[in-house]
Amino acid sequence: MTLAVSVRSLAMHYGRRLVFQDVSFDLAAGQAAGVVGPNGSGKTTLLRAIAGCLTPRAGEIRINGLTPRDAIGRTGVGYFAGEATLPGGVRAAHWGGLGAGDDVTRESRRLRTLSRGTRQLLGLRTVLGRHPLGLILLDEPWEGLDPDAGRWLSTMLETKRDRGAAVVLSSHRLHDLAGLCDVYVFLLPHQAVVLRVHEIVSVGAVTAEHLASVFDRLRGGTMSLRATS
Amino acid sequence: MRDLWYLVRFFHVVPPVPSMMVGTFVTLTIAAALAMVSDPHRASGALIPVLVLQSFAASSGFSLPARRGHYDLLFTRGSSRTLIALVHWMASIVSGLASWLVLAVLEVVMTAGASRSLFASGTCAALFVVSTLPWAVTVALPRFSGGIGWLLVALTAVTTFSTGVMEPWTATSTRIEELAWPAWSFFIYPVGAVGQHLARPQMVAVIPALTLAVCTMVVACRWVAHRDIPLEAAQ
Repeated sequence: MTLAVSVRSLAMHYGRRLVFQDVSFDLAAGQAAGVVGPNGSGKTTLLRAIAGCLTPRAGEIRINGLTPRDAIGRTGVGYFAGEATLPGGVRAAHWGGLGAGDDVTRESRRLRTLSRGTRQLLGLRTVLGRHPLGLILLDEPWEGLDPDAGRWLSTMLETKRDRGAAVVLSSHRLHDLAGLCDVYVFLLPHQAVVLRVHEIVSVGAVTAEHLASVFDRLRGGTMSLRATS
Repeated sequence: MRDLWYLVRFFHVVPPVPSMMVGTFVTLTIAAALAMVSDPHRASGALIPVLVLQSFAASSGFSLPARRGHYDLLFTRGSSRTLIALVHWMASIVSGLASWLVLAVLEVVMTAGASRSLFASGTCAALFVVSTLPWAVTVALPRFSGGIGWLLVALTAVTTFSTGVMEPWTATSTRIEELAWPAWSFFIYPVGAVGQHLARPQMVAVIPALTLAVCTMVVACRWVAHRDIPLEAAQ
């Protein structure tokens, strides 16, 4: 098993505010991790730290044995934090051309004039069009997508994962994460729990109900993710 | 080299300077060119509005779009952050440089080479300062902060010290006490040097501002290279 991503005792802060602490998990090439947690629990921060944009206060992240900043030049990294991060004044076709250089779209309108779902899809296609991709980091990737685009994304991620890319996804949409991931990182206030598939179900595939049930248990009561699952 | 080409392409697609400002550069260049056609010896005066605009264009602000995630494609591509900063700086000042070059060449052509005030050392020093200092100062600040700050300092200096502050080219010796005021004047109002062929004492007087500009550029590039880039919406 080739170790792609190793996170050890990770703690992240914004100033004095602790976002999360003591997060540890390993992810091999060809595996996917799903990051689950309520709003503000640090899902985006975790992904951004793995992408090398943030420095951990404590703990360490290694991608193929290197720090994220050293690794991103050698491991093809596809990172997308959502359509809100796209510059609105740029024309869609031009942005699409920044991926692998291929035509992602011929749409000439500016990004701000497109629908939210169209922007999200364009951002995803631009990032996932890069090759080779050794590590894929997507923050709420299904957000705003219509069912067709959502299915396209799930299929694309399965294909990339099966071809050897390590995938880390954060999402509130448990039914999209379930079945796709090998590791689930539950970020809760003051604790983080990492479970592999066999620790959630002994037989069969993980479903959204399983994930919601685990999350309820970890939170010690009913929680909002059940409604979105 | 591929990295550099990608960065150039990226900042062409995601320009740090708004297109309206590029349009203003074009308008100013045309107006200055027309003024020079009627009187080629007005070249220095015609360039001053371009340099003032350049100080605002250079104040493009790096951290805000970066924190909005606009540059995530770059950061996760593995390009050197210092190179990203330098290409961002070049993309911020290229319109002003193009305006200056057009006007400088036009002046040479119009005067059949007799006047080269826009290639003079004073002009080049002023262009360097207005193209570097505002960019470096604004790296961590909102767009135009450097230009606005400089304008406020210049206006305050003018109203406080009388218009004499705009005429710093009186340095006649390299003695420190005689250079202090010209050096300060150039720092506050570098465009006052446009068209001047700097003699040795004046050259010494501009060195502090040029050194400061280089130092702030180095600090700004290091800031971009080492600073965390959190997502604005995630904090």
